[in-house]
Amino acid sequence: MTATISKAPWGGTYPPVAKLNLAADPRKMRRIIAEDPEWSLAVVPHLSNICLQHIVRNFEERPILDKLLPSHKDYVLERLSTSLPLRVTSNLISDEGYWKRCCQKRWGLRDVSAYGHSWKRMFHERHLENIIELFIPDVTDPRLVLDAVPLCRDYVTRLNISQLLPPIKEPQAQEEDDGRDSASDLSVQGPSVDHFDFGILLDKLSRLEELHVVYRVKGCGMNFEWNLFEFTYRDCELLARALKSCTTLRVLRIHQSKVDDEKCRLLVNNLLDHPSLRELNLSHNLVGDRGARAIGKLLTRSRLETLTVYDNNIQGPGARAIAHALAKNTSLLSLDLRLNRLGDEGGQAIAQALLKNCTLERLYLGANEMSEPTATVLSQVLVQNQMLRSISLACNRLGSDGGKVLEEGVSHNSMLLECDLRLTEVGQESEYCIRRVIQNNKNRERKTQDDSVM
Amino acid sequence: MSETGHQHSTGDPSTIADNLPTDQQETVGRHASNSCWSGSSLQSVETMEEMQRDWTELVTNIQVAADARESQCRADMFEAGRLRVEKLENEAKSSLEKCEEIIRKWTVTKVKEFPQDLRDSLNSQQQLCARIIEDKNKVIQELQQEIKLSDDCFVKDRKTQAEHMDLIIDRMEEQVNFLMGSYRDELVQFENSLEQERRILLTGNRRKWEQHMEERRHKELENAMQRMRRVEEYDKSLQQLRTSEAEDLIKLDTDQKMQQIKATLQLRQETHHYCLEVMKNIDGDNTIVKSLMTEKINRWQDVVSRLKIKCANEEKLAWEVYQKLTEDYKLKMQQYKDLQKKKQLAAIHAKRFEEIWLMNKEEVKALVTKALDTDRLIHEQLLGLSWQPPPLGFMEQCGSLKNQRQAQSTACQTAAELLRPEGTSPCHLGKYKEASAGPRDVCESGAGQETGSSKTNRVGSGGKNSGTVLVKKIQELLCDKAGFLIESQLFKILSPLEKDEQCLMKMDSIFTAMGIESKEDVHKLAMFFTNYRQPQGDPYLTQDVSARCGAVASYQEEAGERSYCSPTSDLMNPNDVLVALKAFTAYHCRHSDGHDCVSREVVAPKDPSMLAVGGRDNSEDAAYWKAMADVIPEAKLKVWDALETALNKYHVVLTDKSKLIKDTQRLRQQNAELQKLLQQQANSRVRPGQDKVHGMDPAR
Repeated sequence: MTATISKAPWGGTYPPVAKLNLAADPRKMRRIIAEDPEWSLAVVPHLSNICLQHIVRNFEERPILDKLLPSHKDYVLERLSTSLPLRVTSNLISDEGYWKRCCQKRWGLRDVSAYGHSWKRMFHERHLENIIELFIPDVTDPRLVLDAVPLCRDYVTRLNISQLLPPIKEPQAQEEDDGRDSASDLSVQGPSVDHFDFGILLDKLSRLEELHVVYRVKGCGMNFEWNLFEFTYRDCELLARALKSCTTLRVLRIHQSKVDDEKCRLLVNNLLDHPSLRELNLSHNLVGDRGARAIGKLLTRSRLETLTVYDNNIQGPGARAIAHALAKNTSLLSLDLRLNRLGDEGGQAIAQALLKNCTLERLYLGANEMSEPTATVLSQVLVQNQMLRSISLACNRLGSDGGKVLEEGVSHNSMLLECDLRLTEVGQESEYCIRRVIQNNKNRERKTQDDSVM
Repeated sequence: MSETGHQHSTGDPSTIADNLPTDQQETVGRHASNSCWSGSSLQSVETMEEMQRDWTELVTNIQVAADARESQCRADMFEAGRLRVEKLENEAKSSLEKCEEIIRKWTVTKVKEFPQDLRDSLNSQQQLCARIIEDKNKVIQELQQEIKLSDDCFVKDRKTQAEHMDLIIDRMEEQVNFLMGSYRDELVQFENSLEQERRILLTGNRRKWEQHMEERRHKELENAMQRMRRVEEYDKSLQQLRTSEAEDLIKLDTDQKMQQIKATLQLRQETHHYCLEVMKNIDGDNTIVKSLMTEKINRWQDVVSRLKIKCANEEKLAWEVYQKLTEDYKLKMQQYKDLQKKKQLAAIHAKRFEEIWLMNKEEVKALVTKALDTDRLIHEQLLGLSWQPPPLGFMEQCGSLKNQRQAQSTACQTAAELLRPEGTSPCHLGKYKEASAGPRDVCESGAGQETGSSKTNRVGSGGKNSGTVLVKKIQELLCDKAGFLIESQLFKILSPLEKDEQCLMKMDSIFTAMGIESKEDVHKLAMFFTNYRQPQGDPYLTQDVSARCGAVASYQEEAGERSYCSPTSDLMNPNDVLVALKAFTAYHCRHSDGHDCVSREVVAPKDPSMLAVGGRDNSEDAAYWKAMADVIPEAKLKVWDALETALNKYHVVLTDKSKLIKDTQRLRQQNAELQKLLQQQANSRVRPGQDKVHGMDPAR
């Protein structure tokens, strides 16, 4: 680290401060050196510059920043090392330029717009994510995470955990991941936890709003083992308790983690009456009918606005439970049930719920093995419900009859702006008609928008 | 499954990226719609949106297809699983049947007794078992085959999914590029059209501008020409007018001038003639007057010379008189200075005299008291008679010295009291009464106490307010006007004091200068002043002071009281104060002569400084001192003489007596000593030596 400092750009022209004994060198005492053709006055550094360099060099021991003049502050910030420990910098420096340098040094070029255009937030979030993703239960000291909490607490609003490592069971397991070290002489007793325990973290992050979790291992390659992708019941219990303690959470996403009915029920039980939760995403899991029933309960006991249960195993009974809740719900705006197996039973139930519901704006029912009966009920809904903005029925065999029925329904609707009927075998004619109706709706919408703006 | 998840996650940014340009476009469209070519913009917006939708559809088509395939796959899997389960169940059933057959056969085989039969049956059993195992193996193989197939299928799926992913990415990239290109084109088009429109507008404006400029230029030119033409016209007409006017004027002028000149000439000629005649007459007169004047001048010159001689004589006389007078003045000044010195000396003498007087008085008083005391002692102790003190009334009288002082101080006091604004206490009033009760009890008509009260009393009681105000005013007048009576040094000393005090002090000095001592005098002065108002109007009186004073006095006697009560709105003219003062002093002097008081000697008002010296009553002094001396009567002195002689005798007797007593005492003492010695000797007879000694003692 010291080597990098001495090689820093400012070191090139200026001699180090320690060797500046001017009296000893008669050449340095002279104001003009005529015999030296390369000599110029600019070589003599300003005292303030020397001081600032000193500050930069000793920033870790004596961080002086706020007392400096603005121009000097910029000078220091431009030259500060990106490898300074976070405990010095995180609460002291708010300059985006510095954090941009830090981020780019650590992770290369990244899109800062995903982090609210704040490099500092990006750095802290990714820092914390890295710590958690490389956390090995019973090997890594939990204090490593806890030490980072006070530094990151004020800047972390989203955690996107893309992997969670399981505990080490046998020596060969350590070769699976490069990120792990050689702490192999651990006893072969049962591990205390199966994955990282969020309970120690979530209640301390006072500004956390989004949490994305995947219980799996990235890039395992040929070391694949089924137990690397295990979301155990114990994990679920710990996670659910942690979620309950985090009152600021708005968005929760647990995907590709084999969440089955039991775990879903456990999670939902702990999320009931959550004060701030607005979005729940359980896509790519194994939620079945019982889990769907639990989700239905959550819909009545929370203020969810977006519910995504894409690619699960919900069938008719589960869909009926969700529909029942949807009929009473007044907060949900978007419901995604794509790639389930609702069938006509579930589809009809959902559609009938929409006759009563008047808040839902987006409904996705693609690839759900629905057919003509659902289409007939939906056409009724489209006549009556004027809230629905977007509907997707792709990959359902509605047939040409279903298409005609839908066409009729849509023709009475003036609010629908999107209708996805791909791979539904509805017939080109009805598809064209529906598209025209939607185009008209869009034009009308735009006109009213223009009017309101004017 | 993971594939689709990835697809989903990567789908998000693309939709975000799609949404952004839409907004931009919409804003562009909105801006465009504000201008005049909203129609084309709307169309472009529509086309852009369509394009976007198509592209998104193209991208999402893959996803939808994957979804469809996945759902199909799942349905197939479900179906396959169901078939498999059915098949396995059938298999299990058949194998169970076979098992049962085998078991059943076991009972049959157990019954068999022949080894051959047994072997046969065992063989058949074996065969059956082998068949079952074979069936099972077949099933297992089939299942394994299926697994392998599905493995392959999975790998294939993965591959196709990866391909799909690539496709999606490609399409997204394509979409982004295409859309970017199209947006750029759109932008260029917009810009172009804008530019074009602007250019058209510019050219139109420029043409219009030029047109207007041209018009303006024409108009200006025209106007200028018109103006020039008009100026020329005006010039011409002006010239014409000028020439015509000038001609007229010239004609008129010559005629008039000629006539005028003729008239004036005639006039002048006539006047000249007249003047000549007048001059001749005057010349004649002048010669006569000149002769007369020369005569007169000679006469006057004689008179002047005579007068000059007279004047010189007069001057000489006057000079002599002046010399004499100055010498007189010098003499007088010398005398005055001497007098001043004398006055000072007299004052000092008076003071010393007073001090000596007082001292002597004290001494005499002490002596008298001492004498009286001794007298009392003699009476009480020696004679045994009761002693009665002689009358000592004269002791309280301290002579006329004090009275003068009092009188003067009262004058000042009155002034002060009058000056004091409102705080007139009852004692003040009483003082007035006291004073008025004294000598100046001028009789007036009427009787009783009320009428007895004099004018001063009136000031105090009846017209108190008006009186005090009046007196105060008069005092102020005096202060202002009679300032010459006050010494110049006093002014300097008084300057820091308050107005009232200053006034008071001034009054004091004025009073002393005028010789006013008692308050009666003050009031008299006041009265005089008030009454002076009336006669002042008569100018003939002002000449004769004494006569007027008499008139004033008589007037005062009669109507003094009334004038006090009358409102003193306007006092006498301040300019007459001096005259009045003069009159008053004359009157006062005469009056005081008439009303000579008991204790007062003749006061010389013109020389007030002599008051203290000459104002002593010498006649009583002798009596006073005599009374002092005669405090012990002659008879008593005789008694004292007799007593003295008797006492002297008694004293002699007593001295003899005391001498005798002393002698007897000494003898007695000697006697006692001798007795003592005798006793000692009597006690020590035993020793002769001692006896000897003792015996010698009495001899001594």
